Amino acid sequence: MTTAKTDDILLDVQGLRKYFPITKGLFRRTVGHVKAVENVSFQVRKGETLGVVGESGCGKTTMGLSIMHLIQPTDGQVHLNVNGEWLQVNARTIGNLRDKMQIVFQDPFSSLDPRMRIRDIVAEPLQAHGMKKRRERYDRVESLLEAVGLGSHLMNRFPHEFSGGQRQRIGIARALSLNPSLVVCDEPVSALDVSVQAQVLNLLDDLQSEFGLTYLFVAHDLSVVQHISDRVAVMYLGRIVEMAEVEQLFGNPKHPYTEALLSAIPDPDPDIVGEEIILQGDVPSPAAPPPGCHFHPRCRYAKDRCRQEIPELVDEEKRGHLVACHYARDLDLTGVTPRETA
Amino acid sequence: MITYIARRLLFLPIVLIGVTLLVFVAMSFLSPYQLVSAYIKSPEELKNQSLDDLVRKYGLDQPVHVRYVSWVKNLLKGDLGYSVSANMSVTEAVAKRFPATIELALFAIIPVVLGGIWLGTISAKHYNRPLDHVTRTFAIIGWSLPDFVFGLILLMIFYGVLGWFPPGRLSMWADTVVLTGDFVRYTGLNTVDSLLNGRPDIFWDSVRHLIAPVITLSYLWWAYLLRITRSSMLEVMNKDYVRTARAKGLTEKVVVNRHVRRNAMIPVATVSGSMVLGLLGGVVIVETVFDYKGIGLLTATGAQQLDYTLILGTTLFYGMLLVLINLVVDVLYAVIDPRVRLE
Repeated sequence: MTTAKTDDILLDVQGLRKYFPITKGLFRRTVGHVKAVENVSFQVRKGETLGVVGESGCGKTTMGLSIMHLIQPTDGQVHLNVNGEWLQVNARTIGNLRDKMQIVFQDPFSSLDPRMRIRDIVAEPLQAHGMKKRRERYDRVESLLEAVGLGSHLMNRFPHEFSGGQRQRIGIARALSLNPSLVVCDEPVSALDVSVQAQVLNLLDDLQSEFGLTYLFVAHDLSVVQHISDRVAVMYLGRIVEMAEVEQLFGNPKHPYTEALLSAIPDPDPDIVGEEIILQGDVPSPAAPPPGCHFHPRCRYAKDRCRQEIPELVDEEKRGHLVACHYARDLDLTGVTPRETA
Repeated sequence: MITYIARRLLFLPIVLIGVTLLVFVAMSFLSPYQLVSAYIKSPEELKNQSLDDLVRKYGLDQPVHVRYVSWVKNLLKGDLGYSVSANMSVTEAVAKRFPATIELALFAIIPVVLGGIWLGTISAKHYNRPLDHVTRTFAIIGWSLPDFVFGLILLMIFYGVLGWFPPGRLSMWADTVVLTGDFVRYTGLNTVDSLLNGRPDIFWDSVRHLIAPVITLSYLWWAYLLRITRSSMLEVMNKDYVRTARAKGLTEKVVVNRHVRRNAMIPVATVSGSMVLGLLGGVVIVETVFDYKGIGLLTATGAQQLDYTLILGTTLFYGMLLVLINLVVDVLYAVIDPRVRLE
């Protein structure tokens, strides 16, 4: 895959790993590791939305938090392009880079401090990053709240007075308060009602063009990802197994796992009877992943080679479609036809 | 906020009526003859009078509701009857002894609240590291040691062996000064009064008498508050909004002080309320162990001598006090947690 850090790239992640130790007994002896994120490398282009999908527990959120250094990654390098200069993101530098990269959390109900007024929640990052004048901060909060579709008259309220969708808007306003270039969206709509999801997604879309934002959009809902992403990465057991432009990935998947995921998208048209691929068995434990290709025990195309060799994530046709499957070229997999999304 | 307090105040009379009713029910277990003492104002009244006359005079032969109303009328006048064991009216005895208990409680509560929260914070910040183990051990000992045992140990070491902290409220000489001459009792708190009168020697003497009972009284609550603060802080530290605070780029100090501790204070405030109530119960034992002449010792003496008037009077007094303390705690609760006052 391409590793050149060109100017149109905003975020560069190389070999990111996050292992959680499993401890046992009185003295907390480490008996193994949960490999939540295993050797993940990718780049995010300026102004694009990179969607990350996968089942629960595949490491999507851990990856997002590791990139943000809200949890310390075990290994790997994260670089951020700040005005043409590549700065390494690590435990030491993250304090100064928080205004460049922000995160919108999954649960809008628990991620706002219940004892703070909205204006203080949104203004606090400004204060921490040197905006000294209170008046100035509150002016900015006002315009941010307007930007996310909340009236500035709500500034003095507390989080519990808002609905889930409104709270997520507050979370978004908070993330945008420092004018970041990258926003990691960690399943920002999965806790919301479907009707509210659409509103928040459209808001994110509007804000992206208004402020020139780049999103790393983590989700497990494929239709959400299809709607908002330019490119999509599919994760399985801590690894990226396929990454491509959204039309490519949905229309012409090359990894059997992606095919299975896509077949599970419900289609609103009752006349279309698609083949649903039911994966056999459960997701293997990330503490003891199967040898070879991690997906082989559930893959209906698995051959001997899959049980022994771990496939690399490669772009065989040099068209920006990366797949980690030995037989990507030989398989003829079914995708979904792109449909109009609301 | 003001409406919240006003609303709480509206409930106050209802609760107070409840308290008087409870005490009144307790009283009705006594015979009218035993009850007479709760009505007379001085022993003089007993001279040349038969008990039956007094029973009739105070309407103790009347039906329940009449007796209740006349009793409450007496209460409103501040009339709680005459205590044989204290040899004065109950109101007088309570008024005389209460400042001593207030002094003891104040010297206990303030360090407990500040110190307990401080140690709890340290313990939580050093979770599972040596400092955490030390404070936790300190807490477990305090939590498990009964106050009468702990008090006797202190008395044995610091009075019996070292002679540093004598029992009582003041030494004999200081007591004489305080009770006679031109020593003005502004507040009834010896430590404060002695300073206002310009007597540092008496101040030092009263502090010497306070140290051991204060430690005995407060150790349990240091331990309790420490444990509550610690567990509450640890819980809040894993909350999503603390992660949000970190994502904002705040320093660790700001995260702990502004986001973690403030939210962790909610259960601590609740517990502090019960702590004040517990302290007031604790004074009965601690004052008895240290012969400290406060309201706790008064109650204990009254109970030992079956002085019904005194027992009923102090019960009522405690009841009123607890209602007021609960009110203060509820208001504090609303200050700490904005969600409460908006409900």
